[in-house]
Amino acid sequence: MTTSSPATFSSATLAPGGSAGSAVGAPVAARAIGLRKVFGRTVAVEGIDLEVPSGAVLGMLGPNGSGKTTLIRMLLGLTRPTAGAAELLGHPVPEQAAWALPQVGALVEGPGFHPFLSGRENLCRVAAAEPLLASSEIANAVGAVLKRVGLADAADRRYRGYSLGMKQRLGLAAALIVPRRLVVLDEPTNGLDPAGTRDVRRIIGELHEGGATVIVSSHLLAEVEATCTHVAVLQAGTLVATGDLPSLLEAGTSGMVVVTPDVELTIRTMREAGATAYRSESTEPAVVVKDGPPAPEAISLLVRAGVSVHEARRSRANLEELFARLTEETG
Amino acid sequence: MTAMTESTRAAALARTTVPTAAPRHAPMGRLLAAEARWVLRRPRTLVMLGVFALVPVLIAIGVAVADDTPGPGSGLIGAIAGNGFVLPIVSMTMALGLLLPLAVAMAAADAIAGETAHGTLRGLLVAPVGRLRLVGMKAFGVLLVATLATTAIAVMGLLAGFAVIGGADGQLITLSGTTLGLGEALARVALVVVWTVGQLAAVGAVALAISAYTEHPLVVLASVLGGLIVFGVLSAIPALDWLQPYLLTSGWTAGVDALRDPTPYGGMIESSLRALCYLGLGAGVTVHRMLRRDA
Repeated sequence: MTTSSPATFSSATLAPGGSAGSAVGAPVAARAIGLRKVFGRTVAVEGIDLEVPSGAVLGMLGPNGSGKTTLIRMLLGLTRPTAGAAELLGHPVPEQAAWALPQVGALVEGPGFHPFLSGRENLCRVAAAEPLLASSEIANAVGAVLKRVGLADAADRRYRGYSLGMKQRLGLAAALIVPRRLVVLDEPTNGLDPAGTRDVRRIIGELHEGGATVIVSSHLLAEVEATCTHVAVLQAGTLVATGDLPSLLEAGTSGMVVVTPDVELTIRTMREAGATAYRSESTEPAVVVKDGPPAPEAISLLVRAGVSVHEARRSRANLEELFARLTEETG
Repeated sequence: MTAMTESTRAAALARTTVPTAAPRHAPMGRLLAAEARWVLRRPRTLVMLGVFALVPVLIAIGVAVADDTPGPGSGLIGAIAGNGFVLPIVSMTMALGLLLPLAVAMAAADAIAGETAHGTLRGLLVAPVGRLRLVGMKAFGVLLVATLATTAIAVMGLLAGFAVIGGADGQLITLSGTTLGLGEALARVALVVVWTVGQLAAVGAVALAISAYTEHPLVVLASVLGGLIVFGVLSAIPALDWLQPYLLTSGWTAGVDALRDPTPYGGMIESSLRALCYLGLGAGVTVHRMLRRDA
């Protein structure tokens, strides 16, 4: 099986951008070199090379089962790669994970806490294991982080009774309990209401401003577009695109969106004219046309073919289309 | 303003990273305290300790009620009559048969498999708690449960023995017919507590090893209880007598030896050595697995 990724992206690597965070020294916060992980007969992750520059906010995109979590677990030293190597803040993992991990906060595979303890007690237990937290600071740090994620009012209720969103907030709190150089958030907005999603966005923004590197995996593409400086798109365990967000988006703009009820006819007509055409991911019935004849010519072709063109506009390249295109091309 | 302090902090953190130095860890004492708090806050641990404390009380009541009718109770239970000091030792010996191993298996099941199932093991590993330290922390928690459960039975046994049965003037009448003073009697009870905890440590080590291999706490419970039953069946088959020295359970009545005078220590020493072998095996497998386990 070969993954055909657009030439524009396949060779792109993450260049250390001029973003904040040069204060932290190491130019690369996390690095994957030919990472591969096999579970039994399933290849979860295959040949991933990735560099996350210090100070970047990397959005990791991919459909369910594309290997995002497995990649994150290998970067954190939780899972041993079948082949390849990983580096975290300049230390090889899992061998030297203990040197890097105190400065890494992580929320992986959803929040994990004990139901019979309150949110505060759960966090105290997490805090006790944090190497960079002095014992005398634990109570204050827990109180402060609960406030930061908006859980101060529910802090002393049992975790058992928490809503999904509150659980997610507590997971976020555990990752942020001490100041971090790198924060890894696996699907942090799962189960959050709009206010919660805004809070996550705000927290990511604060981390970024403070010079920390953030890796955030999400299937909410708008979220990534709003908060990230860099993007990595995974599909079926391979990395199909990486780069900084502006250049990825730029590479995606060269086309037209045709809003029409005659989607099938439009696609057929445009493909006959030598263009790339596919159904848009938006809710309105529309077709994205690329690499075809110039717009006026394309539209007159469509009209002659009997397509009822309601609207035609320059394609607003957004991550959603890029993502849809990158992940749907194989098959 | 906040951004400034955050970046200064990050820079300060960066300076503390010296690759050649040993990695920083949370103080072990703090980890053990957190583990103890976690174990003792778990409702099932508390319920279990409460139920265990009732065991000697129930035996005491049973003996007191049956006291008037001297029947076939000439065995150990019979020896309790009129002799409160015997109660804790007999209770511990009876509980060691199934109840105490069950408690230890439960603690071990929660310790690793349970944490995995809750997704909390990942959190500890990412903190990071070193994998070896994690095993130490978990072993401590299991040992704590074993000690508390055994002590609960011993203490309630003493109290119930005095309250319900009466203490033969504060003395222990041994099975050999001699009498021991209060201090000596308490020392005997303490000896059995220590010996019992030693046996439970062996069970706990094996249970932890199983716990390290699964994410289903029930598997641990089923394995330990199944193992105990199989050991019981094996030891009951005369043709398999040669197996006896290898079965952990075969020396589990040795605690009663403390009721004889002078105490024959042979049984307790032999079973303790056997427990040590199981402990080493269990600990070795647990460490081996935890150093490699994906989380």
